[in-house]
Amino acid sequence: MYRLALNMLFGDRAKLAMLLCGLAFSALLMAQQSSVFFGIMSWTYTPMVNIRAQVWVSDPMVEQVNDAKPLRDTDLGRVRSVDGVAWAAPLHTSFVQARMQDGNFKLITLVGIDADTFAGAPAVLTQGRIEDLRLPDTVIVDEWGAALMGRMGVGPDGKPRSTPLKVGDTFEINDIQARIVGICKVRRAFTGGPFVYTTYDRAKGYTLGARRTLSFMLVEPQKGVTPAELCGRIERDTGLKAWTSDTVIWNWGERSLARNTFWWFWTNTGIPFSFGTAVLLGLFVGIAISGQTFYSFVLENLKYFAAIKAMGAGMGVIARMLLVQAFTAGLIGFGLGAGMAQAIGRVMIEKGMPPFVMFPQILWATFALVLGISLVSAIIGIIKVSRVDAASVFRG
Amino acid sequence: MSHLAHTVAVRATGVDMFFGTPENQVVALKQADFEARRGELIMLVGPSGCGKTTLLSVIAGTLTPQAGTVEVFGQRLDGLGQEALTTFRRKNLGFVFQSFNLIPTLTVAENVMVPLLIQGRPYDEARARAVAILDKVGLKGREEGRPNALSGGQQQRVAIARALVHEPPLLICDEPTSALDKDTGAQIMQMVRDLSRSPERCVVVVTHDHRIFRFADRIAEMEDGRISRVVDDPKLLDTTHL
Repeated sequence: MYRLALNMLFGDRAKLAMLLCGLAFSALLMAQQSSVFFGIMSWTYTPMVNIRAQVWVSDPMVEQVNDAKPLRDTDLGRVRSVDGVAWAAPLHTSFVQARMQDGNFKLITLVGIDADTFAGAPAVLTQGRIEDLRLPDTVIVDEWGAALMGRMGVGPDGKPRSTPLKVGDTFEINDIQARIVGICKVRRAFTGGPFVYTTYDRAKGYTLGARRTLSFMLVEPQKGVTPAELCGRIERDTGLKAWTSDTVIWNWGERSLARNTFWWFWTNTGIPFSFGTAVLLGLFVGIAISGQTFYSFVLENLKYFAAIKAMGAGMGVIARMLLVQAFTAGLIGFGLGAGMAQAIGRVMIEKGMPPFVMFPQILWATFALVLGISLVSAIIGIIKVSRVDAASVFRG
Repeated sequence: MSHLAHTVAVRATGVDMFFGTPENQVVALKQADFEARRGELIMLVGPSGCGKTTLLSVIAGTLTPQAGTVEVFGQRLDGLGQEALTTFRRKNLGFVFQSFNLIPTLTVAENVMVPLLIQGRPYDEARARAVAILDKVGLKGREEGRPNALSGGQQQRVAIARALVHEPPLLICDEPTSALDKDTGAQIMQMVRDLSRSPERCVVVVTHDHRIFRFADRIAEMEDGRISRVVDDPKLLDTTHL
């Protein structure tokens, strides 16, 4: 009977198309909005991804990575003296205005790393060498920032340029020249500004007037000491806050700064509500369109279901037929919707905006929700058919 | 007595059937008695509202009477639950409906396969038997077409094929010719008679169409919710009120 059930479904192409449109649109909306949501949320802890270190140490009042509360430089020595610390390096992060060649200003994320160890340096450089940061007035700019700031530059002919900044180009931070010695590849951040790397000491110079410039300390545990274990020791011995740096969203531990950052944005901004509303909208639209279309499909076939009932098919068989029809439509609808979401995601990833992270869990959740929509649709149909009297087939 | 018991296919005794609320009750059947024999084609006739379709539904096990007994091929239906009735219909009944009730999104062969698939027969076996019976009703080569592409007569032939494909002992036909012209109706009834004629099978036909009375072995006339008389010769019936 299930084969016939499918033939009944596929035989009514107009209804099937409508049903698939509803389910696909719903799957698209839920998967795409969730992916953009997680993309944006993953941008909130971008510094954790771009600046690699096993343990981060901050002021005890720090709640998330974008909200650094400066430490004293002497805190570095205290951390270095904690048992289990292999090394500890200073890190400066701040938002400062960079002045471009055309006179405009651009807010950048200035990252000052230890010039001796280069701890926290970008992992991938597409141009230049990290060692060149030891030269005077030098910075490394991220690829996207180079393109963005390049459009704010002036060409040799005095006209606005359209090419990205490259090694050798200059701009100013607080009236101090910054000469580019490298272009790096890093993930973009929620705050939107380009990442500009320099040495910790030079960062102090670029942030004139700041009394304290030590934002975080990057710490490496000794062999045999786990990051979580070391965090506990640092907190106990120094009174500072220590964090692990795991950024895998489904796998982060209790002490993860990325997790804290994620939940800080979750509870302190309207982002989850906004995207959650869109996802719920997708769900409701799916239920409304698919439920309505499937109900109409059942209504149109009601007299045939009554005839099948009269011929001796139990409600169990008919219910399974309706479930097969609804779940098949759900499966195809999900495939279409998720495929479209992937395609849109690819375009987004290529363009870099908006951020798009489609975890397998998003697909599974979307799949489950689409099947839920199908189930609701099928149940509506089953209720309708169960109320049909088999004797009604004799009433013309 | 024993011989008589074996010849009875359907026996309804003292059947009452009411619809509506106690304050606004419609009496469909009142102490109705009906009997059909194995190997015969019996017609139920009578004016609109006399209870023909209700009696047919009771015999088919799609309606449970408020009083009386119904026995079909030795099986009491009046005490059976819904599940047992469903199983009974699946094994013992074939239906030909007034409006054909062929599923338009399925092919002709798939429509005929439905009773076999409901019985749980494998798809390929069901298909082979559907093709064979479609050949018998003169629709060879139309198996893959859609019912809507067929004429009314052809659609009713598909319905007959569907009703007989699982070889049920009781064939129930509800106004099988009402949507057909005179000649097509006669052809259909001839086909019902030819294909269903078997010493073990009983055919019950509800009809208004006096032009097909000649195909009946017996005719039971209904009036006001009960059988008023049963005749062997259609000429004995006054058809003016039908």
